[in-house]
Amino acid sequence: MTAPAAEPFAGSIELTRGYRVHLGHGYDELLNASGKVRSHGLGLVSGLQRLDAGELAMRARRLAQRVRDTGLTYDIFADPRAHAQPWRLNLMPLVVSSAEWRWLEAAMVQRARLLAYVLSDVYAEGRLLDDHLIPPELIFSDESYLPAARDVINGTVGLRFYAADLARGHDGRWRVIDSHTETLAGIGFALANRVTHTHVAGDLFNQVNARRLSPWFRALQEGLNATAGRADARIALMTPGPQSPDYFSHAYIARYLNLLLVEGNDLRVRDGHVALKTLEGLKEIDLIVRCAEGALSDPLELGGTAFLGPAGLLGACRARPDLVINPIGAATVQNRALGARLAQVARHVLGEDLKLADSPRLWLGDPAARAEVARAPSGYTLRAAQEGTGRPGMAASGIELRDLTGEQLDRLIRDMQVHGTRFVAEQRQTFSTMPAYDAGVLVPRPIAIRLFAARTGDDWSLMPAGLAMTVNARSAVSLTADGGETHDVWVLSDEAAGPSSSLWRPTIERARVERSQRVTQSRVAENLYWLGRNVERADWTMRILRGTLRRIEEDSGAFGGQQAAARCMALLLGDDSPALVATGRADIEAAARVLADSKAGRSLANTLASLYRNAFLVRDRLSQEAWQQLSRLAPQGTWGEALTRAPPIALLDLVEEGLGAIAAFNGLAHENMTRNFGWSFLNLGRRLERAYNLAEVTKELFGHADASPENERAGLLLLLELGDSFITYRSRYRLEPMLPLALDLLMLDETNPRSLAFQLAEMDALLERLPHGDAGQSRHVDRRLILKLLTSIRLCDIEQICRDDSRNSLTSLLDEQLAWLPGLSDAISQHYFNLTEALPHRLETRVGTRP
Amino acid sequence: MKLEINHRTTYRYDQPVALAQHRLHMLARPTPLQTVLRSRLMIEPAPTVRADAVDVFGNAVTSVEIERPHEELVIEAASSVDVAPPKAIPTSAGPRWNEIDAAIRELDQKEALAVRQARCMSALTRAPAGLVEYVVTSFPDGRPLVEAALDLTRRITQEFRFDVTATDVSTPLGTVLKSRRGVCQDFAHLTIAGLRALRIPARYVSGYILTIPPPGRPKLMGADASHAWVSVWCGKGLGWIDFDPTNGRLAGEDYATVAWGRDYADVSPITGILLGGGSHVVTVGVDVKAVP
Repeated sequence: MTAPAAEPFAGSIELTRGYRVHLGHGYDELLNASGKVRSHGLGLVSGLQRLDAGELAMRARRLAQRVRDTGLTYDIFADPRAHAQPWRLNLMPLVVSSAEWRWLEAAMVQRARLLAYVLSDVYAEGRLLDDHLIPPELIFSDESYLPAARDVINGTVGLRFYAADLARGHDGRWRVIDSHTETLAGIGFALANRVTHTHVAGDLFNQVNARRLSPWFRALQEGLNATAGRADARIALMTPGPQSPDYFSHAYIARYLNLLLVEGNDLRVRDGHVALKTLEGLKEIDLIVRCAEGALSDPLELGGTAFLGPAGLLGACRARPDLVINPIGAATVQNRALGARLAQVARHVLGEDLKLADSPRLWLGDPAARAEVARAPSGYTLRAAQEGTGRPGMAASGIELRDLTGEQLDRLIRDMQVHGTRFVAEQRQTFSTMPAYDAGVLVPRPIAIRLFAARTGDDWSLMPAGLAMTVNARSAVSLTADGGETHDVWVLSDEAAGPSSSLWRPTIERARVERSQRVTQSRVAENLYWLGRNVERADWTMRILRGTLRRIEEDSGAFGGQQAAARCMALLLGDDSPALVATGRADIEAAARVLADSKAGRSLANTLASLYRNAFLVRDRLSQEAWQQLSRLAPQGTWGEALTRAPPIALLDLVEEGLGAIAAFNGLAHENMTRNFGWSFLNLGRRLERAYNLAEVTKELFGHADASPENERAGLLLLLELGDSFITYRSRYRLEPMLPLALDLLMLDETNPRSLAFQLAEMDALLERLPHGDAGQSRHVDRRLILKLLTSIRLCDIEQICRDDSRNSLTSLLDEQLAWLPGLSDAISQHYFNLTEALPHRLETRVGTRP
Repeated sequence: MKLEINHRTTYRYDQPVALAQHRLHMLARPTPLQTVLRSRLMIEPAPTVRADAVDVFGNAVTSVEIERPHEELVIEAASSVDVAPPKAIPTSAGPRWNEIDAAIRELDQKEALAVRQARCMSALTRAPAGLVEYVVTSFPDGRPLVEAALDLTRRITQEFRFDVTATDVSTPLGTVLKSRRGVCQDFAHLTIAGLRALRIPARYVSGYILTIPPPGRPKLMGADASHAWVSVWCGKGLGWIDFDPTNGRLAGEDYATVAWGRDYADVSPITGILLGGGSHVVTVGVDVKAVP
């Protein structure tokens, strides 16, 4: 059903008129049943009415731009072919009155306490495991229930984080459609939404006197420190890694709360203690905020296919039960089937009625429930009782039984007799609507919201904000939002606004903590190293593109120049590139296009995508300005989009702009980054990449004996241009380019920051400064290789090499470099990034294999 | 019967293992019929850290960390146990299989929880398509549980082939059912999955059987290696009774129990997480003998 076009509103037109026309008969968050603005919405509406249509459109555009700049838009680590929906944030917030919020907070806190109690009970005494309360099979069939965690959860406070998805039915009552106890459930998205939205709606936010987030997060941070048990504790957020759809949220919240962002393989359990691998050695971790699935958090004791936590983590938790929060095994209480039992459990445990109930559903482990579903299937949607918690909006949509044929239904009912303990049948849920700003008008959209609660001190509190998301009201039974748009949630305050201060605003106390925490994680070093390599690779690729495009544009010069450029492009594109035996200008132009935006080999598009990923991973190590320079090159940004469409003439301008951004980044990194180990790795990556590219192109252009003098001259001009040494050459020699002189400048001259020797000497110095670890051992492979590389270049006699017309001497000199440089990269990676030589793997015996 | 068990496992690695963490379920546990007289676990190279504990199912579990680089790992477990002969059970004894719910209600709450956990499918015992159809042949309405379970046990022995090449540690049960081939671990999982599909409590037992058969009796399948079978809860009076689907019989005093759990993953004899090591060759020697 598509709504007819509504008239755009301007300041003079009543804002809600067009909106009212399209409203259905359900519950609307802004207007009441008689079409009047609800009293808590008046502040926002009057604020909006002061803005004219142009202003609103401008704000919507700026918001979309901000969402892109923050890195929220695309899951940049996802498989690009998977075509994920972009993250969208609507200009209109959902406003919640202070009275309603008080009720929601009380209701959410009641649920959190209750689930915390249930968690402790099902892992210890099991007094609630009774057919009248919670059927034991409901818990024991849930594969997130981990018997091995019994003696761990037994000793803890249990839950510390709880999130829930709520929908308001047409009857006006909120119901819980899903609970989340396994991870932080995308809290970072909610925070990022707020930070982003405030940039375009901060004035309205202040006008309506909505509650700020920082006091809540400060309390949360203090709570974490208290749990960790010491003042300068090392607290880690354990993420499954960049491939996780929730990774943005993990990275964002870790940065905000100043937690170390770690993956399972960064950690090691040793004699009951968890340590983080850093360049300075193993450092003890005091507390782990778990955002990885519990069942995969200890490959040694819990098995599983993925290694999301360090081997032995559960054992370490036995010694220190509060080491991991939420505790491993906590997912059990987010089981959907459990939700249907909570009302009875609340009466039994708390002696209270459950304020906020779950949406109606049946647990299919119960024969009576199966009979009911078989009798009237069309009203139900079948879903797994247990589903992981990830990115908001990613809940599976389930099977709508009305869509099944009779035969399919029969088979399903039979299957449920065997497997029903792990499934629920959901009754369809109705959703309230809220206004969304859409191309100049307000339109009603059905929504569900996610709220986040945490045990910040001795008790639970609800984050005074949330995430609203549009859903497909016809089919959704949970926060399933394919292509859904998000809204910030504003909670009105009864109190006068106090001074605000973001957690990002540093204080002296915090600064001290941070400084003591600053260790260089091996993985961060690795990301910085690859950032250095990719920045340099992007620079080099754009230089080749620029050289090519200039030569096409001039067209007057020798064709040899274009051909040399084409050969350089062919190097980057690899064997699967279209034929680059260029025979004319058109071919070369086409090749430039391919280099700019294809997915072949080291195309610019590939390099920029990697560059942006690496930059995102180390964003907290970069200054705001440095990050801005790199984010200009983001694949989905304005510049990146233009690059894929631009005709050659415009391509040249774009390339110049890109080179400018990289030059600015390099300048900022050089001027502003602390000279710590992180900086060393960024620089190592850049030096190694530059050395390789230079050696590779030199070999391509001058490694063959067949060049005519004219082509050799064209090649030298290109090489000097790529190596940014043309001016130096001219001022030094005042001669036409000659091979020995040019190669001396670009290979051997250690005062030329673009020369091969300079890169090698720098790497030698950088490696010398890094911690060596086991001092007793002989030189590490990386030190031996750099010495070989440097010595080979320093000892060579360039004049003699150039006199060898067969070019064999030059080729063998460069071949050595091209063979050893990748070896050096591997050696650096083995020495510093893994701390051990390989990823962990599993050893298993099989029983009864010998007859 | 007094049984002496010696189980020696040697891993030889291609490349040095830089760091190894192991969890071992190798020392015999006590059971209502089994007394552990002695048990000892020898590990070479000597672990940097070693902790002996009892896991959530009451099994002995040993956790070790070995930090020194090693190219060979030897784990030798020696246990001496005294196994009482199971009481002779008429197969008609105990509850009917389809009255198991009523039988469970006779237990107190704590006992009932352990039994009810055992009727829930775990990751390795999810019933594949077709298994219920295969199993129900042994379970007509009203048949006594012991008789039905023994019938299933025998059918699996007769209709499945012991074949070490047919499956590996990750072969899904559906493949075992289709190919009618596997080893004792597969047969135990298949039996457990079938029983649990009918809501009958069953658990996975790992242990050993006597290597040298008494004179005149055939040598059993699964001797000379660690073995696995199935324990079925047969009502309050009979309790847990052990069935061996690899050999089509009830377990006797020639069966030494090491550990039990929901499935293999709970009681895997040796699990390890290694850094380095490359590929490995494993040699296993199991010697079980009856002593006077």
